[in-house]
Amino acid sequence: MSVKSCELRTVMVMNLSGQSHEVAISVRDLVVDYKQLRAVNNISFDAKHGEVTVVIGPNGAGKTSTMEVCSGVRTATSGKVSVLGLDPKKDRHKINSQIGVMLQDGGVYPSARVFEVAQHYCNLYGNRTTAGELLEMVDLTRQEKTSWRKLSGGEKQRLSLALALAAKPRVAFLDEPTSGVDIFGRDLIRGIVRRLADNGCAVVMATHELDEAQRVADHVLMFQDGNLLANAPLIELRGSAGTNQTLEDIFRDLSSNAAISRSREAQ
Amino acid sequence: MKIFRSQLRQELTVMARNGEQLLLLVVVPVILLIFFSQTDFLTTESENKIDFLMPGILGLAVMSTAMVSLGIATGFERSYGVLKRLGTTPLGTRRLVLAKVAAICVIEIAQLVLLIFVGQLLGWNPNQINLAQVLVLLLVGTSCFAGIGLILAGRLRAEINLAAQNGLYLALLLLGGIFVSNDELPKTLGDVAQVLPSSLLSSLLRSSFNNNELVIADAIALGGWALSACALAVISFKWSD
Repeated sequence: MSVKSCELRTVMVMNLSGQSHEVAISVRDLVVDYKQLRAVNNISFDAKHGEVTVVIGPNGAGKTSTMEVCSGVRTATSGKVSVLGLDPKKDRHKINSQIGVMLQDGGVYPSARVFEVAQHYCNLYGNRTTAGELLEMVDLTRQEKTSWRKLSGGEKQRLSLALALAAKPRVAFLDEPTSGVDIFGRDLIRGIVRRLADNGCAVVMATHELDEAQRVADHVLMFQDGNLLANAPLIELRGSAGTNQTLEDIFRDLSSNAAISRSREAQ
Repeated sequence: MKIFRSQLRQELTVMARNGEQLLLLVVVPVILLIFFSQTDFLTTESENKIDFLMPGILGLAVMSTAMVSLGIATGFERSYGVLKRLGTTPLGTRRLVLAKVAAICVIEIAQLVLLIFVGQLLGWNPNQINLAQVLVLLLVGTSCFAGIGLILAGRLRAEINLAAQNGLYLALLLLGGIFVSNDELPKTLGDVAQVLPSSLLSSLLRSSFNNNELVIADAIALGGWALSACALAVISFKWSD
């Protein structure tokens, strides 16, 4: 099934349920090159308010590059990206107060302590919430005085998520928020992500764990080798592929189809 | 303003927790000052050893804070992704740089007060200080060394940057006319040393404290170092690896 017909059915489903959501991020013909390597190859998609858009695909598929361009920390080679109607690079100072970003590598100084970092991020966003509230949300109240370097992998991820929430964001970019997180942490993070979207935030979340994606996604962007294999609501993807199929099965199918059509083109 | 204050507080706490940095910033200059003023290893011709020593040590303090401390911390922040993440917040480059500059100034003031206090205990009693000139020189020296530190921090990997900053610190210290006057170095080495920013700063400070004339050529050279180092830092700095 082609991506186009997926999109068509998306519109119909939206109209039937009466919940059409406003577009928060629009990406058109995005290309990102690193010297010789093409990391993102001419992709287009939208992400909407009130939805969790999950970006899946293997390591090196272009997920992080795409998210970094959208969050303004990387420059696109070509293409047009708009976040809340603004250019993520040029209008950075306008966008930054409205987005929450969780990068893959945390981005916290190792000796900084939990409460202190949370407080600092609250200050950066003009105290829309309190450090205490944030830490309670991610269940780190007891680790308040612990330094970042002494936190476990899961605790680091939860703190990092909390910092993104300090923005009370209208758009959130979460790069692999559940990697290295235990089962309870995953439930907690998933709950937070769901609530964010239910409150109207456009959540874009990258993961290479398809089980995770399946539990939280409204909309799925499947990446492979810098290309978009699929761009469709989760319901549509699974509906079209048969209800017993997991995202993993679907990914394998689409991936091998793509390989076949590539080899045909080559002939 | 609140954002700036919050960032400044963060900068200072992180620096204060770096024990090895504090050692370099506070303890080493004081020990050097005490050691060389109480022993006979200095070959200066001035009657009072401490008069020769003190200006150079103050310059050294500026170099250790503005170059080494700022440079190492910034290099690690870059590699930990701290700068990248802050780049997604409303902080902004301008406030980040201002907070860093303010943090350096706070630490330098503390260092200078401590060193001057210890110096007085050791009998330092400069005649007719040109205070305005001293302050301007310290400021120009600070921008110069901060620029150099950030050139390295903005490009090198954190661990290499750490080694490079310390290596450069040692070289600039030995060739800085702080303990060994440049005239006593082998001819070629001495000629090179003379135009290095550490030598320029220490000799300019020495004249300002001891009421000699300001060597205009040296002042211009130091200013040139400061301008070009800062400009190069701005052009070459990369916010993430």
